[in-house]
Amino acid sequence: MTALDVAGPSAGSAEDVAARAPRRAFPAERACAVVVLVAMLIFSVWSLSMLDFSWGNIQSSWNIAVKVFSRMGPISLPGPEDLFSLIGITFGIVVLGTLAASLISIPVALLAAANTTPAPWLRPVGRAIGVITRAVPDVVLALAFSLTFALGSPLPGIFALGIHSIGMISKLFADAIENSDDGPRLAIRAAGGSRAQEFWSGVFPQVLPSWIATALHRFDINLRGSAILGYAGVGGLGYAMKVAFAEFPTGYGRGLGIACVIFVMCVVLEIVSSTIRRNLLGVQPLGRGLGDRIVRAATKNRPAPAQRVAPRGEVDVHRMLRRPWTRDRVRDTSWTATGLLVVVAAWFLTDIDFSQVQWQFVPRTIESFWPPDLGSYSFADFAQAMLVTIQVAFAAALLSLVFSLVFGSLAARNVAPSGGVRNTFRVILVIFRGVPELVLAIFLIMVTGLGNQAGVVALAFGGIGLLGKLIADSFEEVPNGPERALTAAGASRAQRYLAATWPQGLPSLIGNSLYLVDTNIRSATILGIVGGSGIGFYLTNASTVLTLHGQVTTLVLMVIVTVLAVEGVAAWMRRVFR
Amino acid sequence: MNSTTISPVIRLSGVSKDFGSTRALSGVDLTVERGEVVVLLGLSGSGKSTLLRHLDGLELPTRGDVEVLGRSLPKLKAHELRRVRARVAMIFQQFELVPSLTVLENVLTGALARLKGPRLGLWAYPKQLKLAALTHLDRVGMLEKAYERADQLSGGQQQRVAIARALMQSPEILLADEPVASLDPESSAQVMRLIREIAADDGLTVVCSLHQVDLALGWGDRIVGLRHGEVVLDTPAMGLSKSQVMEIYGRVATSTAELSAIESELRDAEFAAQATDGIR
Repeated sequence: MTALDVAGPSAGSAEDVAARAPRRAFPAERACAVVVLVAMLIFSVWSLSMLDFSWGNIQSSWNIAVKVFSRMGPISLPGPEDLFSLIGITFGIVVLGTLAASLISIPVALLAAANTTPAPWLRPVGRAIGVITRAVPDVVLALAFSLTFALGSPLPGIFALGIHSIGMISKLFADAIENSDDGPRLAIRAAGGSRAQEFWSGVFPQVLPSWIATALHRFDINLRGSAILGYAGVGGLGYAMKVAFAEFPTGYGRGLGIACVIFVMCVVLEIVSSTIRRNLLGVQPLGRGLGDRIVRAATKNRPAPAQRVAPRGEVDVHRMLRRPWTRDRVRDTSWTATGLLVVVAAWFLTDIDFSQVQWQFVPRTIESFWPPDLGSYSFADFAQAMLVTIQVAFAAALLSLVFSLVFGSLAARNVAPSGGVRNTFRVILVIFRGVPELVLAIFLIMVTGLGNQAGVVALAFGGIGLLGKLIADSFEEVPNGPERALTAAGASRAQRYLAATWPQGLPSLIGNSLYLVDTNIRSATILGIVGGSGIGFYLTNASTVLTLHGQVTTLVLMVIVTVLAVEGVAAWMRRVFR
Repeated sequence: MNSTTISPVIRLSGVSKDFGSTRALSGVDLTVERGEVVVLLGLSGSGKSTLLRHLDGLELPTRGDVEVLGRSLPKLKAHELRRVRARVAMIFQQFELVPSLTVLENVLTGALARLKGPRLGLWAYPKQLKLAALTHLDRVGMLEKAYERADQLSGGQQQRVAIARALMQSPEILLADEPVASLDPESSAQVMRLIREIAADDGLTVVCSLHQVDLALGWGDRIVGLRHGEVVLDTPAMGLSKSQVMEIYGRVATSTAELSAIESELRDAEFAAQATDGIR
């Protein structure tokens, strides 16, 4: 009331101000974006209800899981000789697949990077190769390749990982090339170097660390996913686990034992690769796995190690021809030698036998994927299946969003009522992220037949860990001036959260949620392959029979279109809500 | 082809360069004789860098002709242009060494135009080239740093390595784009002296852009002033009177505010020059 008294002498002035105040501008594009967001939210709620996510249903699933656990035998392992051979095969497949993808990624990234592409029209080609290889799940590739190989052969796995991983590696590598310093390249061009020389002498040495780091990071991801490849008949631990889980109840103990081996292997190798990435390459590991986090925590306050000492003693031109064995050179050389040894070992461990390849099938296999067709199904069948997969993705994203808004907010320093609450919720989020997709997949396998609900739970669980952390981080990063201003004006904690923290954090919240939907669609496809639901069910069926490969193409195209659509919407939203 | 004996080595006639709607160079005529040491003087944005980049074919003129070592650059095919570039060395304000490579390998990249195919790693270069690279490093006083990473060196050291890389081309022309703008006064003096010595010993033609008048005076044979992409000054650098120096400032400056800024800079520079006893 006092404000009004000061503002004007007469009672009519408030109305006067209201009349003179400008109308709130609401641009059409922003309105559209809000409508789309609300539509997506409604779709998610509808998806959740369509998937029969009732409490009774969850309880009966839980009962089945309990029954399964109570009837299975004790956890056991295969004999040491078998076990080591299985570990060797899985390790070898992942090493060789990742290596192949890393090598192929160099030319792909070269095309895709704005500053190295030979011609502007080749740039979309390079980007498209990345997008397509990323959109086709490695399991689908493995299933398709398995026709040309004997069952349990490592080669389909190597090819599948080799192709699928190109997407991520070439994208990150192209970004690194675009972010590299243009100067050294210019200097080499000015000295008369050719385009190839410009790249290999001027650009590649700059991006080599990021290339190796990306490859190692992808190695971790591929190792985590290698269990799923077993379901496509690729040899190694995953296949052994699948065979074990096929025998109920006697095989379940062995299957769980193998799952534990895979889990331990993932964590150990992730620690190794994180250590290399940090110490050798000076790249802070940013992955969400347990190993990455252990290395991050252990090296938190230590700066990257300093570099080299100068060679001492008499210098003359001829003596300097011999490069001195400084500590750095010894280190670099021994790491290179170790890397080569690992690759050679991987080659022998996988025991690749090219005579296994039925070469006469190769052209026919490739040919069989074209043209795309529907087989005996109608498009409506496929669309219905795709819809189920999208529903799973959205429903899981909604569950993740609701829980991670609570967890993530309370894990943010500027929102949590006390340091204790913040730390508690940080730990909770760490636990959520620590459970790898693998364990969730196994949970799914154990309770096979539950299909979609189990898939949603598995995806939502992992999503809370990821989104909760991203929300907590983005809330902590908002400029804290407005919060201080509201505190000074006497606002309560909740008022401050809603009026200052929330509006500032909203754009990144929207972006991160859409990112989650994007990854969920890919994961839901894969879970569908394992659990036999959604579009994954049709993919599994179609990819194991040569004459049905046209359907695989149709289905994969549908997945690609969906993923691209979500990515496009996400990019648009990020722009509108910036 | 006997183009090497043709004099002058650089001839620009009516060169204009547009970047979109902005004109970087406008009707530049310039002739440089073999063995001349020319300073391009001008404030930032006056077109010095663009002009230098034209001399190495890194930019091609919108109008006019650039003739370097007897070849008209706009008419050359890509591989012919590379052959001209091999004979013209360039050093940069930011040195532009590959940070993660050793000093020696950085110097060796100066020889890439003579080699076929891409190279990565010291083992990829022939021994006699390595020997030559070490000799050049010795000449710029950086021999003992041959196997250090380029990004471990100070700015002045990096620029000396860049000069060794330029020498690796056995160039006939040396282009220097603000070579000391990122260096402290002492390193600046060392680098400028080094360039001058090498130019004299090897009979190089040098075109060096600078924005500090005090560095330009008494260093080159000739000063060419640029303003708004036009040549506004072309004078011998030796034996200038104080009034002539003031006129140079007046020509390259675009406003009285800039002029007074330059004047105060000149006073500081004189002060510094008295302290370090000049560049030469």
